[in-house]
Amino acid sequence: MDSIRKNKLAITLFMLPAVVLFTGIIIVPIIMSFIYSFQEWNGITDPEFIGLNNYIELFTSKSAGFPKTILNALLLAVLSVFIQLPLSLGLALLISRGIKGERFFMTVFFIPVLMSTVVIGQLWLKIYNPRYGILNVILDTLGFDALAQTAWLGDSKTALLAVFIPNLWQYVGYHMLLLYAGIKSVSPDVIEAARIDGATDMQINTKIIIPLLKPVIKICVIFAVTGSLKAFDLIYVLTNGGPDHASEVPSTLMVNMIFGESRYGFGSAIAVLIIFLCFFFAIVIKKAIKTEDYDEK
Amino acid sequence: MKLKRVTSGIAAAVMMAGVITGCGSSSDNPGSSAGGNANAGGDQKDVTLTLWSISTESDSFHSAYEQAIKDFESSHEGVKVVHETFENESYKTKIKSAVAANELPDVFYTWAGGFSQSFVDSGKVMQLDSYYENYKDEISEAALSNIIYDGKLYGSVICTPVSVMWYNQKIFSENGLEAPETWDEFENVCRTLRENGIDPIATSAKDKWVLAMLHDGLTLKSVGADKLQKTLLKQGGSYSDPDFLVSAEKIKELADMEAFIGGAAALSNDEASAEFYSGNAAMYFTGSWMGGSIMTDAENPSDFSVAPIPVINSSNAKLTDFMGGGSDSLMVAASTKEADLSAALAFEITKGVSKYGYLSGAGIPAWKVTYDDSEVPELTKKVAEYANNATSFTLWFDTLMESEDAGEYLSLLQKLYLGSLTPEEFQAEMAAQLEK
Repeated sequence: MDSIRKNKLAITLFMLPAVVLFTGIIIVPIIMSFIYSFQEWNGITDPEFIGLNNYIELFTSKSAGFPKTILNALLLAVLSVFIQLPLSLGLALLISRGIKGERFFMTVFFIPVLMSTVVIGQLWLKIYNPRYGILNVILDTLGFDALAQTAWLGDSKTALLAVFIPNLWQYVGYHMLLLYAGIKSVSPDVIEAARIDGATDMQINTKIIIPLLKPVIKICVIFAVTGSLKAFDLIYVLTNGGPDHASEVPSTLMVNMIFGESRYGFGSAIAVLIIFLCFFFAIVIKKAIKTEDYDEK
Repeated sequence: MKLKRVTSGIAAAVMMAGVITGCGSSSDNPGSSAGGNANAGGDQKDVTLTLWSISTESDSFHSAYEQAIKDFESSHEGVKVVHETFENESYKTKIKSAVAANELPDVFYTWAGGFSQSFVDSGKVMQLDSYYENYKDEISEAALSNIIYDGKLYGSVICTPVSVMWYNQKIFSENGLEAPETWDEFENVCRTLRENGIDPIATSAKDKWVLAMLHDGLTLKSVGADKLQKTLLKQGGSYSDPDFLVSAEKIKELADMEAFIGGAAALSNDEASAEFYSGNAAMYFTGSWMGGSIMTDAENPSDFSVAPIPVINSSNAKLTDFMGGGSDSLMVAASTKEADLSAALAFEITKGVSKYGYLSGAGIPAWKVTYDDSEVPELTKKVAEYANNATSFTLWFDTLMESEDAGEYLSLLQKLYLGSLTPEEFQAEMAAQLEK
């Protein structure tokens, strides 16, 4: 085994497919985006080099509103970490206690993750529909006449929240499944021992399970944060970033710039910043894990 | 040790080779059978041409395309046309990337004017002047004017759609109203309907082009065709002209008096037009293509009628000036292997779709009517009459302008509708965008 690891030919041969795919599909496009981001290009005719102008326009152009999309994405990240994850954790703890219909509930909560996002988008479009949507119908029957008139996705004030709710809802099941698997891997001996010592359910959860679950929780946090930064599909279906950029996130702005206005250079500059932000947060969160792990030891 | 290393290296190489040949041999079989098919076809000189369009099965032109293709296949033996359809919005993306990636089909649907300018500039579209000779008695050069770039023809046109005001005749007569011809009459109609608890105008500000149909029309009727075209094409004329402010103010006025259906910014075109078909709103401003959809989607098609967009400034524009003109076109890719057949396909299909589309009430034909059209639905005939007697055609803003300007125009218009821009700011931003 050792000799194979030292054999340069074998290393090259075995690494080659992965390296070729990884460079071809990830590294090269990133580098190309980086190059395009310094150009003014409509995608078809010859590009023109314009230096940092795209980046300057990103932060100064009022009509593109890029800084606001970053704030929106960060807001989604905060909501994911502080609302979606606690919810998933709560559900995972509940289900893993061995309640009746454990598998049934797990499947039910996981269904939104399995469904195509476009289908979910259409579903929520109907829920939010200002004229016959179930949300407004319910509000109307409950007597909130003024609220029942709201076009949730069409009003600049409510659109952002209205697209975030399905976004958060959809992946509760996903995080729940990760956490559930983590909880199941906690040794029952430890829990039993605690119970014999007279620990309550609450104490077992907060003092034993959650601390042991930390590595899984941190993976969830990374997924939630980077997922929020690149959130796209559901928002694209529900509002396409509108109305008036109210629910715009960096990736919808990028697509609208590239394919809506044929501004490949400008869109690539957004792409580069999204990549940068995702790396940045992934590294920051990972660093946070490491230091704490060492503290514990 | 060294020997061992070499052996393991060889072992690795053999394994790799095994993997590669494994893949190779398994993909061999379908490959050879496909080759067999191609050979079998070769004997009969079968040719397959690919056509891309946006007439999906729910589109009112779908059956017209199917019939036109059938006609073409029966008159050209051995030719098979593969018709691939895509949804309108996503197709715009698809076609642009196909041009960039050199993956165009033989014949493809596109929009004339600014949208296709870069396709022509890139040299990936075939010039069709020599083929037009065969068809010049059947379609006028005027109908093709939007697809002529630098004096050369690059495609063929199906319809000459125009923007009109569709209205619910039943609601109008119940409220004692008549189709408005001037802005004052139009304003009165909106006010009366609103007072009587009926949504006057159904529109979609989510699919911004629907709202643009109204704004484009009002701008034309305030500015006049000549000045409008010069301004948008950047050939002299400025958007700062006070006439341009008028139409923006009118949109704001309509929004302020709640003339638009509630939540228009959340409704798609399909959702908004469903409200119109079901009689929940009285008017809808869009292209002549709605005539076909009313026949199929509305419960009582006989309730509906059509009128030109009202005039705002009668010294600049007439009732008979229209937004629209030949825009939906078929182009031939320069990369096609069957240049003659593909060119014939582009002309024959546009001719066929023009005919069948008109007969089904879906479109206003760009090609001369040489057949019996007594079966054509009343509404479509009426619009065809408007188009025939039109004093001018102006392409829609978002088709006429370059795509970057068009995108900016649509998002500015949405802001104007939502009230986050005043009409003055809208005008200033438009002028700035066009002067860029």
